[in-house]
Amino acid sequence: MTKLWHTAGPVLSILLVLALLWYGAAIALNAAWAKDKASRIDKTLSFSELVADTMSQEKPLLPAPHQVVKEIYETTVLKKITSKRSLVWHSWITLSATLLGFAFGTVLGVLLAVGIVYSRAMDMSVMPWVITSQTIPILAVAPMIIVVLNAVGVSGLLPKAFISMYLSFFPVVVGMVKGLRAPDQMQLDQMRTWSAPKATSFWKLRLPSSMPYLFASLKIGIAASLVGAIVGELPTGAVAGLGARLLAGSYYGQTIQIWSALICAAVLAASLVALIGMIERITLRRMGMVQ
Amino acid sequence: MSWIVTAVVFWLAMWTLNVRLAKGEQTRFVKILVPTLFGVTLLVLWESFVRGFSISPILLPPPSAIAARFVSSLPTLWEDFVQTFIKGALSGYVIGCSAAFLTAIAVDRSDFLKRGLLPIGNFVAALPIIGMAPILVMWFGFDWQSKSAVVVIMVFFPMLVNTVAGLSAKDAIQTDLMNTYGASYWQSLFKLGLPAAMPFIFNGLKICTTLALIGAIVAEFFGSPIRGMGFRISTEVGRLALDMVWAEITVAALAGSAFYGTMALIEKAVTFWHPSQRN
Amino acid sequence: MKNMIKGALTGALMFGAAAAQADDDVTLQLKWVTQAQFAGYYVALDKGFYEEEGLNVTIKPGGPDIAPAQVIAGGGADVVLDWMPSALASREKGLDLVNIAQPYKSSGMMLTCRKDAGIETPADFPDKTLGVWFFGNEYPFLSWMSKLGLKTDGSEGGVTVLKQGFNVDPLLQKQAACVSTMTYNEYWQVIDAGLTPEDLVVFKYEDEGVSTLEDGMYVLGSNLEDPAFRDKMVRFVRASMKGWKYAEQNTDEAADIVLENDASGAQTEKHQRRMMSEVAKLTAGSNGALDIADYERTVQSLLQAGSDPVITKVPEGAWTHEISDAALN
Repeated sequence: MTKLWHTAGPVLSILLVLALLWYGAAIALNAAWAKDKASRIDKTLSFSELVADTMSQEKPLLPAPHQVVKEIYETTVLKKITSKRSLVWHSWITLSATLLGFAFGTVLGVLLAVGIVYSRAMDMSVMPWVITSQTIPILAVAPMIIVVLNAVGVSGLLPKAFISMYLSFFPVVVGMVKGLRAPDQMQLDQMRTWSAPKATSFWKLRLPSSMPYLFASLKIGIAASLVGAIVGELPTGAVAGLGARLLAGSYYGQTIQIWSALICAAVLAASLVALIGMIERITLRRMGMVQ
Repeated sequence: MSWIVTAVVFWLAMWTLNVRLAKGEQTRFVKILVPTLFGVTLLVLWESFVRGFSISPILLPPPSAIAARFVSSLPTLWEDFVQTFIKGALSGYVIGCSAAFLTAIAVDRSDFLKRGLLPIGNFVAALPIIGMAPILVMWFGFDWQSKSAVVVIMVFFPMLVNTVAGLSAKDAIQTDLMNTYGASYWQSLFKLGLPAAMPFIFNGLKICTTLALIGAIVAEFFGSPIRGMGFRISTEVGRLALDMVWAEITVAALAGSAFYGTMALIEKAVTFWHPSQRN
Repeated sequence: MKNMIKGALTGALMFGAAAAQADDDVTLQLKWVTQAQFAGYYVALDKGFYEEEGLNVTIKPGGPDIAPAQVIAGGGADVVLDWMPSALASREKGLDLVNIAQPYKSSGMMLTCRKDAGIETPADFPDKTLGVWFFGNEYPFLSWMSKLGLKTDGSEGGVTVLKQGFNVDPLLQKQAACVSTMTYNEYWQVIDAGLTPEDLVVFKYEDEGVSTLEDGMYVLGSNLEDPAFRDKMVRFVRASMKGWKYAEQNTDEAADIVLENDASGAQTEKHQRRMMSEVAKLTAGSNGALDIADYERTVQSLLQAGSDPVITKVPEGAWTHEISDAALN
C-alpha cells in the first residue's frame, strides 16, 4: 500500500491541484461573459450566482471539468459506437490512420537507418536532409498534400496516413541509427573473428542491440503519428475523426466538444504509448535484456 | 520523356559521384559537398518530373518557378517571417523554454514533486497539443500573442522532461564528492548539476526548435492578422498561387534549419566534453 | 501520362456504354462542410433524383483549407461549387473554370457589427477592426472596401483586417467591431451566443450594391468539349435543381436529410432547419440558369476593386447556358 502511494501519491496530488486550478480558471475566464449577459438584462449577479453560471454555460471559454466528463460519457457510453455522434467511432477513424501511418513510418525509418549505417554515402548525403525534412511545416501544408495525393488517385485513409508517416519516420531513423551503432568495436571485432557474414552480424548483433533505442523512438513516433492523423483531418472537410470534431467544435464555438475531443485524443495517445511500453517490456525480457 | 531520361541519368551520375566522394578523404569540404549534391539532385528530379509529366502548376510548381517567386516577393516574405518567426515562435520559444527550465530546477529539489510531475509531463509531452491552438486563439486574440502562447505550451513539456532527466544525470559518486567539498546547493547545481544536464537540456532545446515553428504556423490557421507565414500559406492556396505557398515553405525550412543549426553549434561549444561531441 | 489517363477514361466510357445503362459516376466537391447550404444536392441524392437520371453521385464535403478549384484541377471532382469571385480569380490563374448553373440567386453575405463598438453606418468603419474570411472569400469584401475608398492595410483612416477563423468568436470577445457572417449561418451563431438583433447592425452585401454571385456549379472547360460529359452534366443539373426546389418546399425535411449525411455528427437540428429556411430565400429566385445581369454586376464589382483588383480583365467564356438550357427545357 505504501509502495503504491509512493508512486501514485505525488501524481494524484498534482492532478488534484491541476483540477482545482482548472475550476478556478473556468470561473475567471467565463465570468466576463456571464456579467456581460447579465448587464444586458440589467441584473447584477451575486458571487454564488456568478459561479453557478460559469459552471453551466453552453459555450464557455473554458468548460469546467465536470461538463467535459459529462459530454465524454454521453458521447461514448450512451451512444452506439457505430453512431456518427459517438466519440468511439471518431476515435477509431483517427486511430486507423494513425496506425497505418505509424507502420509506414516505422518501416521507412528502419530501412533508412539500415542504409545509413551500412552506406557511408547515404550517411553523408541523406542524414542532413532527414533533419531538414522535419523543419518543413508539413502540418501547415497538409491540406495541399491531401489534394495533390487526391490528384494522383490516392484518397481516403492514405493521405492522412502519409502525414502521420512523415512525422513518425524521423524519430525512428534517429533512434535506429544510434541503436544499430550501439555495439562497440570489440563486439564487432568478435563477429569478424568468427568470420560472420554481414547479414549474420546484423541479425545477431546490431539488430538486437538496437531494440531499446527502437522502442524509445517508437513511443515518440506513435505520438507524432497521432498528431499527424489529427492534423490531416482538420482541413479535409471535417468528414470524420477526432480532428474533424475539433474543427467542427471550433467552427460552431462548441468548446465542450473541443475539449472532449482533446481529452479523447490524450487518452488515445497515452494508451498507444503505454501499449508500446508493454510490448517493449515483454520483448526486452524475452531477449534477456532486462529482468 | 527526355526530361525523365535526363533526370534519371543525372541522378545516377550524382549518386556515383557521391559514393566516390564518401569513400575518399573526409575533408570539411567533402562533408558539405556530399549533402549539397544530394539536395541539388532532389531539386533537379523535382523540376524534371514536373516538366516531364507536365504537372499543372496549380498542383505542384517546379523549383525554378518557386525560386523566381521567392526572389520577387522578398518584402512580403520578410514581413511574414518577422510576424511568425520573430514575434510568434521565438518569443514563445524563449518564454516556454525558460519557464520549463526554471520549473525543472524547482522540481528537482523536491522528490515528491519530481515523482508527481514527471509521469504527467511525459504524458502531456505525448499529447496532440496543437489541438489547443483554436482555444488559445480564442483566449489571447488574433495577433502574435496567441501564436506565442501556443508555442509556450508546445515546448514547455518536452523541455521540462528533458531538463529534469538531465538534472538526474549526475551520478552518486560525483554528488558525494560535492558533499565532501562542503558545496552549497547552488554551488553544486552550477558546478555539477547543470553541466551534467547540458546534453539533455540541449536535446530538449533542439527538439523544441521545430515544435516552435510548427506551432506558430499552424496557430495562424485559426485566425490571424493579414500577415504571417501560416496566413499566407492558407490564403495563397485559396488563390491557387502555389509558387508563393512553396516560397513560404522554403522560408520555414530555411528558418527552421538555421534555428536548429544555431542550437547545435551552441551545444557543441557548451558540451565539448561529452562523448557524443568527440570524434 | 495524360494520354494514358485519357485513354483509360475513354476505355472506361466505352465499357460503360457497352454495359448498357450502368450509372455514370459524378463527383461533386462542396465548398464547405456538410450543411443546409448544400441541401439541394443532398436531397437529390437522398430522394433518388440523381438515380432517376442514371447518375451515381458522390458528394465530397469541403472544409476551411480545401480549395474547390484545386480539387477539380487535380481531377478529384467533376463538378465543384464555388463563389464566382474566387472562380473568376482562378480562371485568371489559368484554370479553365466554367459556370454551368447558378442555383443561388442572391448573396447571403453580410458584415455583422456590434452597436456598442460604435458602428451605425459604413462611415463608421475607419480605424475599426473587421473580421474577414480569406481563402478566396475575401474578394467581395475587398471590392466593397475599395468602393468605400478605405485602405485595408491597417494604416490611419483605413480599416484593420483580421483573418477570421471559422466562427464568430472575434465579435463575441470584442476583438473585432464587425465580422463576416452569412444570413443563413454565422448570424444565427451570434444570436445563439446571446446577443440580440437590437445589439447588432448588419450590412448585407446585397443592399450595399456590392453583392457577388455565390455557390455556383463549375466544371472544367476542356471537359465540356466531350459530348458524353455534357450529357452527364445536363442530367446532373436537372436532378440538382429538382433537389433544390424540393428543399425549398420542404425545408424541415431537407434539413433532416442534411443531418443524416453529416459524418462529423456536430450539426444540430435547430441550426440546420433555420439555415435551410434562410437558404431557401436565396435560392428561390433562380431556376438554375445563370442570370447574365448578375454575372455582369459581379464582374464589374471585381474589376473595380481599387489598386489591387481581383481580376484584371473581363473574363471570356466563363459561363455557358448550354447545360442549364438543355437541363431545364
